[in-house]
Amino acid sequence: MSKPPLIGDLFPLDRALRGIRERFADVVIDADRTSLRERTVVVPAERLAEVAGALTQDWGASLLTLFGLDERGSAGRFRIHVMFSMAPEDAFITLVAAVPETAPAYKAVTTTVHAAHWLEREMQDLLGVTPVGHPDPAPLVAHDGWPRGMHPQRRDFAVPDGISWPPRFSFHRVEGEGVFEIPVGPIHAGIIEPGHFRFSTVGEAVIKLDVKLGWKYRGLEELGEGQHWTRGLEIAERICGTCAFSHALAYCQAAEELAGATVPPRARALRSMAAELERVYNHVTDMAGILNDTAWVVGAAEMMRVKEIVQQLIDGLFGHRFLRGVCVPGGVQRDLDDTQELWLRRVLGDVRAAVEQTRHAMLNNAAVMDRLVGTGVLPLEVVRDLGVTGVAARASGSTRDGRKDHAYAFYRDLDFGVVTRNGGDVLARYELRADEIHESLNLIDQMIQRLPGGPIAQHLGQLPNDKWGFGLVESPRGLLSHWLRADERGDISDWRVRSASHAAWPAVALAVPGNIVPDFPLINKSFNLCYACTDK
Amino acid sequence: MWEMIQRSLQRGVLAGREATPVPAGITPAPRAESGEIEVMGDALRVEVQRLFRGSLKLRHLDAGSCNGCESELQALLNPFYDLQRFGIDIVASPRHADGLLVTGPVTRHLEEAVLRTDAATPRPRLVIAVGDCACDGGFCRDSFAVHKGASALLDVAVRVPGCPPRPAEILRALLMAIGHESVRVAAGVSAPGMPTP
Repeated sequence: MSKPPLIGDLFPLDRALRGIRERFADVVIDADRTSLRERTVVVPAERLAEVAGALTQDWGASLLTLFGLDERGSAGRFRIHVMFSMAPEDAFITLVAAVPETAPAYKAVTTTVHAAHWLEREMQDLLGVTPVGHPDPAPLVAHDGWPRGMHPQRRDFAVPDGISWPPRFSFHRVEGEGVFEIPVGPIHAGIIEPGHFRFSTVGEAVIKLDVKLGWKYRGLEELGEGQHWTRGLEIAERICGTCAFSHALAYCQAAEELAGATVPPRARALRSMAAELERVYNHVTDMAGILNDTAWVVGAAEMMRVKEIVQQLIDGLFGHRFLRGVCVPGGVQRDLDDTQELWLRRVLGDVRAAVEQTRHAMLNNAAVMDRLVGTGVLPLEVVRDLGVTGVAARASGSTRDGRKDHAYAFYRDLDFGVVTRNGGDVLARYELRADEIHESLNLIDQMIQRLPGGPIAQHLGQLPNDKWGFGLVESPRGLLSHWLRADERGDISDWRVRSASHAAWPAVALAVPGNIVPDFPLINKSFNLCYACTDK
Repeated sequence: MWEMIQRSLQRGVLAGREATPVPAGITPAPRAESGEIEVMGDALRVEVQRLFRGSLKLRHLDAGSCNGCESELQALLNPFYDLQRFGIDIVASPRHADGLLVTGPVTRHLEEAVLRTDAATPRPRLVIAVGDCACDGGFCRDSFAVHKGASALLDVAVRVPGCPPRPAEILRALLMAIGHESVRVAAGVSAPGMPTP
């Protein structure tokens, strides 16, 4: 891979670190964790928002994740991690701040970096650390019926007996003559996930959308704590059904970084291949969903046909329709032989043709196009401000792609471009998916031609407890990360997951106002965010 | 669009066919075994057959699943499985439904929504648990935030295990429930393991 572009005479990471040293003299640069690509900067909690703001506004960093850890037992404090990508350089900066046990509060990062919005609300619910000055501090995961003081990510959390959690919560109200509120969900008509949407409308036009999620909160990060990494993998693959492989991959990368394991080249290539197959079937599903919501049944049925073809192919090659059980820490569990590769190429050739024929027919269908063009526009400024990644970001002109910015698996060895569109509407998101399917199929072709020989897995030893591991993957829906730390027995002590959907949900609420109510399902489908991996 | 319709006419009826048959000479990857489908006892089964007469309208109820079971339920409506040809369909309201297809372990947050959806379904109604989570809580049954499956709140008549169960398995369970299997006639081409009307 080529070197990242110099800014003046410095690479982005060095420029940001120098900037922090110069501007924030009281901030310590931690030397404990100086891996080649991740630097840790310890910051006083009250300066966290200020440093984070300077990083994003002046030195080109973009927020990846923010979470808190309970270290009251060992150090009498809570610890907050704010992690940034320094793309286009493959480097990360982590801001670390200590919040005292006695006064668990700090100045909200959201005040300077809006992308931290939902992350800080989630941390407030689960860990009980208050981001002071947060513009919208309402509970996110917790519904108002939660017992007071219940924070599942605290180590001394005890499950209250026989609790009932009635879902009561407040909304942002729009008042005025002719304003109506339309409550929708959590249970929806059709085969879809639960979420509550509160529309404030005037006539047919939506003027405000409030999204209330958290219905599927299963406590998965907490469930994994204290468990061996094999059990963690089982949970990781089930955080989200349709991004199962991406979650497994990010989890495995975190465990491998922690254990210092090197993945053999053949396993890296098979991982990229599986990841692209996952992208293909997800994109085809989303295209079917968009066409179905415009009531163009012919196109929707055709895309559902293609999805089944891809999933049965995946099933035949890897033994599971959602690619579970393929990725393990240290490598993969399934190998391909020459005849299987030929079969793969032949079937995917048909897939490519069907996607293109359907797009062609769609572009020539005035009734469908009337629904797609100019609907649900997401401006690039919102994408940047809220840290949206994936299809939703690239359809609005963003060039962020984890496969390029922080190449993992086999992507460093492959030729591909980042596909973008500029419309930011439903049509752009549809067409971007079709374009990305072509790119994915090209990648799979390249991997078949260049598949290295050798073993497909390396033994993973015990996880050490003196550092942490981080895995970042460009899932079909965007950047997805897993962060892992182990205890002295080598079991998981802390586990934090952030999915692409978590970052993009707040953007959906901004893409809808100005559109009419009947277009909401269509706009929502064009993002097709996952509820399960947002709620966890 | 006419070309698309032409191609699908040339392709013929896909229902009951395999989407991607494994070619000769290729060994498919080993698959995990899934558990046994459990259907209510004979007496109730006769009653269900008498009441619903081979026609079943179901409401999907996501009680906290990972979205995998949803994906497979959606697949039942694709041209290969084509659920409607068996007289079974998914409806938009519990008030129109003969039964509920429950997925997920039932999270605490969805407790009330699940009970209210069930209350809105006219009696008699059939509760079908789809997937390991709905059957017994599955992989997350030890979490404090969930119940151990749909039977914690509802009377479950049919259990379809699997993580997630394949569409053909869900289809077979539904047909067993309404007694289709006993009256089915082999007609047309059929993929191995795929029920025919």
